[in-house]
Formats: sequence, structure tokens, C-alpha cells
Amino acid sequence: MKPLAILLCFTLCLYACSSPNKKTVARRLKTDTTAKPHAADTVFSGDTNMTVPPYGLEKVQALIGKITSVEDTNSDGRTEALDEKTYALLSFREKFTYHMINQEAYSQNCDILPERTDEVHRIYGHLPDIFGEYEWSDRQLDFFKTNRDSVETLMKLLIVETNGVGDNFKEAIVEMNGKEMIPSLIDSYNKERKDHYILTVLMLLMKQNEYPEFMGSTSFKKLYDRPSDEYSAYLTYNKANEDLIIQRATNFYNGLSKK
Amino acid sequence: MVIALLLVCVEISAQTGCGSVLVPKGKYQVGKKDSRQNPLRTVAVDSFRIAVYETTNREFAVFVAATGYVTDAEKRHNAMVFRPGLEEFRWIGDSTACWRWPNGISRGGIKDKMNHPVTSISYYDIRAYCAWAHVRLPTLEEWEIACRAGSKTDYFFGSEDSRIGEYANIWRGHDHMKADHSDGYMYTSPVGSFKPNPWGLYDMYGNVFEFCTGKLLPSESPTVAHARGGSWWCSKNSCHSFNSYSIGQVNVHASFSNQGFRVVKPQ
Repeated sequence: MKPLAILLCFTLCLYACSSPNKKTVARRLKTDTTAKPHAADTVFSGDTNMTVPPYGLEKVQALIGKITSVEDTNSDGRTEALDEKTYALLSFREKFTYHMINQEAYSQNCDILPERTDEVHRIYGHLPDIFGEYEWSDRQLDFFKTNRDSVETLMKLLIVETNGVGDNFKEAIVEMNGKEMIPSLIDSYNKERKDHYILTVLMLLMKQNEYPEFMGSTSFKKLYDRPSDEYSAYLTYNKANEDLIIQRATNFYNGLSKK
Repeated sequence: MVIALLLVCVEISAQTGCGSVLVPKGKYQVGKKDSRQNPLRTVAVDSFRIAVYETTNREFAVFVAATGYVTDAEKRHNAMVFRPGLEEFRWIGDSTACWRWPNGISRGGIKDKMNHPVTSISYYDIRAYCAWAHVRLPTLEEWEIACRAGSKTDYFFGSEDSRIGEYANIWRGHDHMKADHSDGYMYTSPVGSFKPNPWGLYDMYGNVFEFCTGKLLPSESPTVAHARGGSWWCSKNSCHSFNSYSIGQVNVHASFSNQGFRVVKPQ
């Protein structure tokens, strides 16, 4: 079973014990070496935050727990994905929860590279690997892209409710080119100004959409227009760089609404 | 660190069909300064004899013929393959892919590639091969000791990667949108096509990721395996794991066309 799933089960158990009403709420899980039974994500990616949607969470968790490999004779094997029939019976919101807490496909061996260090003082050009040995399948990526508006609506609600942007949300926003999320991202960032990977998402959205003001910038050249080691590249974190990224992203977003 | 005196074994083994290098018992420096996953340290190991080449399709075919073994990809039809035109780090599932058709039937089989490293096999498949062949995988540390060949730099040929093309079948393009045949091979190359490291080991960088045994943490998930050395897919821009210190991770049942192995033989 994947580390995230184990952590979710553990958290659910704790929550169930502490809450007489067993009310399900959205939460943002911070994984660290003390709370996580399997600390692989911590080793490779530093601490990770996952936003866990509340929609049908217990049902989805139960279904994920039942995923087993039919053909595998080794007990710890799994097929990773819900079968088509079970998946089709999920509501839209339950599918959203399923995708956010479970990745169906294997990721290749080098996805975890390079190691990220000193993230407090850096603004990286790419997001870190957060799903370890797994990643979203084509079916899952299609879900985000095809239902972008609806997915964004749920994300905006949960970002406010959980007071942050989970790493899984960041990844999904980039995957589905969620440029409409820019105001929510900036609002969330401005509350603490600590999660520099929100700035990374803003830059990746400007890059994806080839926003001229960003494409012609020194920041773009330093991060993305380089012969090697693009995934290690970063800007030094300081107020000037922070303000510049936010201002450019704001300009980009305002330009979108005028089109 | 012990200066290794190496005895090159030239015997031909029925199971491995290649030579091996004896690495003496001793203390060796491994890891990289400031790395969290592979910190700089000195380790003590017993002597071990590691294969000069990656295990080939021909060798794996002998195993399958002798045992009737069916690989994970053949059972699950879930191998991940590559074709040019995919975004960085993106692979696609191909239900037809397995070790006989590493990137799917439409991209050709191994008939003319029996001297290439076997790929599209999982860590579990490799364990089965090793049990049959009476060999084992190197540990994470043994692999690095053999790869470094006494060097303390990021590459066994120095601190910079400018000469990587002499030693490794890697992806030379900036991204993976277009096919890259610039070193003669888009996918795998025959084992031993590039220069060896100072101890005579070929393809320690590039060609295929090589599985090792061992965990980075005792609490690590049992579904995680580790492989090292980079592959034909890896480029200087995205991945860059064709070096002596990086350690990747992949699911024990995952089959990719850029992962294979080399063995450690009984002494």
C-alpha cells in the first residue's frame, strides 16, 4: 500500500476516534518523518503537503483499499487503478477525491531527481516529485483537463477551507493549465509567503501560456532557457523576485480576462 | 579508502555469458556531500565479483526457455514505453510491451538485439532470474563502489559531465519531443558499445538503469526498489542521473523500457 494511503488511513482512524460525529472535512496533510509510517516522500522530496478532499472520502478510501492485483501471485502487488465499472459509478466529486489521493500509474526511476535543497531560500522553476513511485495516469490527467472548470471550483473552495495549496493541487493546476487559479494562488501565498512552490506554479503557468512579459525575462532565461539541469534551476528567494513573479502573474491573469 | 587491486575474471558463465571484475574487500567512499538520499560516507564491504556487462536479452531468453517464466509485463500488460514526442518525464502504457517487445510490438522486437540489455522487466522479474542463475543484484553501495572505480568525483572520469558521451548511451537532445539518434541509438545499445570505466565495467552510466538491492531507510515501503546509473532516456537537461551518486526509485512491479540490471556472481 502506498505511503500516502497508509497515512490517510492512520489519520482517518485518529479522526474517527476524536470526532463523535465522524464529520468529514477537507484537510491538508503535512507529511513528515514523525507522522508518516513510510518516510520515502520525505527522503526524496522534503516535507510534502497533500490536500485531501472530503467528498466521499471514506467511500473512496475503502475502494482504494480494495484495489488488488488479480493476476499477481505476490501478495504485495496491486494494479493501482479502480476498474472502469467501479470508477464510472463514482460521482464527479468522488472522482475528484479519488484522483487527489491516489495515483494510478507507475513513475519511472528518475522522476525523483534532482534532490531539492534549501527550499526556504530558493524559488525553483519546477515542482518537486511528490508521488514517489507513482504518478497520475492518462485517465486521471484527462479528468483534470476535461473538467477543468469544475475541478477549479472545488480547488478554490478547498484552498480557502484548508488555508493552503496542497502539493497535489499544485501539480494538478500545472497539468490542467489552470490559469484561472492565479488569484486564489496569490491570495493563499500572501497569507504566509512561505510556500515558494506557489510561485513556481505561477511561473509554470506563464511559461505554459507563453506570456510575453515572462518569456522575455531574465527569470525565464535562468530557469527554463538553459542547455542543462533545468530541473535543478532556481531563483534566489528575496522580496524583489517574489514581488516580480506575483506582479507578472497578476498582469498575465488580468490580460486573460480582457480577451 | 583501500586502493583496489582488481582481478579481472575472463571465465564464461553459462548463466551470464560475460566476464566479471573482482572488487576486493575494503573500505570505500560513497555518496555526495550535502545529499540527503546518499550522503558522503565511508562504507566497508566484503569482496564481490560484478559483471562487466549488463544482462542481455540473450541471457534472459535462456532463463525464460529453461523455466517458462512469465514476466510482470506479460501478466499485467502494464509496461510503460517511450516514443518521441512525449513531454518530459511522460511515458505511455502499452499492453503489448514486454521484454520481447520492449517498447511495444509496433516499435519492434529484440530479434536483432539479443546483445542489448534486457528491459521492460520488473524488479520482481529480476529477482526470479537471479534465483535461477545463482547470482544476485549488487547492493546500492556495491554498485557505487564498482561504478566509481576508485574515483571521488561525480563521474568516474571527473567532475564535469562533458565527456559523458564517450562512456554512455544517453539522450542527447534538449527534450524528448524529437527522436535522438545522435550517438547511434535512440533506445538501448548493444552492451559494451561505449568506453568502460577504469575497472573495465561497461555501461555503468546510461543504456539502462540498473537495479540494486537495499533501502534508503529501514521504514521504506516494500513496494519500492532502487536503480542507478541513468539510461538511454536520460538527458543532461531532465534527469541527469548518469552519475555515480544518484539513486532512483521505482515500483517493484513496474516495467519500463529503460530499466535493466547487472549481476554479482558467486566468488
